[in-house]
Amino acid sequence: MITLRGKLKKDPDVSNSKSQNIPSKRVSIRDKLLIKEAQEMEQTLPMTCQVTFNDPHCLYEFTLLIIPDEGYWCGGHFYFQINVPEEYNMIPPRVKCLTKLWHPNISEEGDVCLSILRQNSVDGMGWAPTRKLKDVVWGLSSLFTDLLNFDDPLNREAADLFSKDKELFGIKVKEYLIQFAKR
Amino acid sequence: MGDIEQDNSERADGENNKADKLFTLKKWNAVAMWSWDVECDTCAICRVQVMDACLRCQAESKKDFYEKQDCVVVWGECNHSFHYCCMSLWVKQNNRCPLCQQEWSIQRMGK
Ligand SMILES: [Zn+2]
Ligand SMILES: [Zn+2]
Ligand SMILES: [Zn+2]
Repeated sequence: MITLRGKLKKDPDVSNSKSQNIPSKRVSIRDKLLIKEAQEMEQTLPMTCQVTFNDPHCLYEFTLLIIPDEGYWCGGHFYFQINVPEEYNMIPPRVKCLTKLWHPNISEEGDVCLSILRQNSVDGMGWAPTRKLKDVVWGLSSLFTDLLNFDDPLNREAADLFSKDKELFGIKVKEYLIQFAKR
Repeated sequence: MGDIEQDNSERADGENNKADKLFTLKKWNAVAMWSWDVECDTCAICRVQVMDACLRCQAESKKDFYEKQDCVVVWGECNHSFHYCCMSLWVKQNNRCPLCQQEWSIQRMGK
């Protein structure tokens, strides 16, 4: 029995896959985690959100549609592309906003500023492996309501306009919404 | 603690019945499920019970008892516990406990 174990230990196949990053037939840690997380995300999806897996076999790539039911962006259709990197859950999912919009925390290029998506944070608000896909979805949907943050904006112009003239801000948001986010 | 007691009885077992090594080992394996004593703490990183091998070690099919021994538990000063494998990967990213966000420092390691 012990001899057999010794042999198994030296098995070149096992030691290879350990030291190198060759994509193997084996399910990755990320994919193992995502089986549960994707299910949990769908079960706890906010009313305003829809998730679409472009390929049902790739749980690490999906689209999130958010249709806010209140606030400045109410009724718009905002699409987000979410990619979960191989090193998940040591590093956070990558999120890109596919819909052009006027938002202090989302640039017109689609970069998203959400604390839990930050890899390196000193305040403890950033990514941690205890977070899950559902937290990302809730965080993104909250960007249209309560997490809206004007202190650390990606779109400074939008943040400035909000502090100067909320009515004008609202008009500008609606203009973008009608032009880019109708469906 | 329960494990020490068990250890003793096993040694006695082995002495009474030296030829039956294989048997003793199997028994040990079953006894190793004493996690009821320590509660079923789940590693918040890989979401496997800390008393079991972590997700990574399991994926590397370290199925047998001896290999599982390598996958130890680590307790921080904050009293949160994780697999050592999981935590050592995370501290490279951020030296904080992922549960309480305190600066991470190891209080003890073991099983
Ligand atoms: Zn773990
Ligand atoms: Zn391990
Ligand atoms: Zn802690």
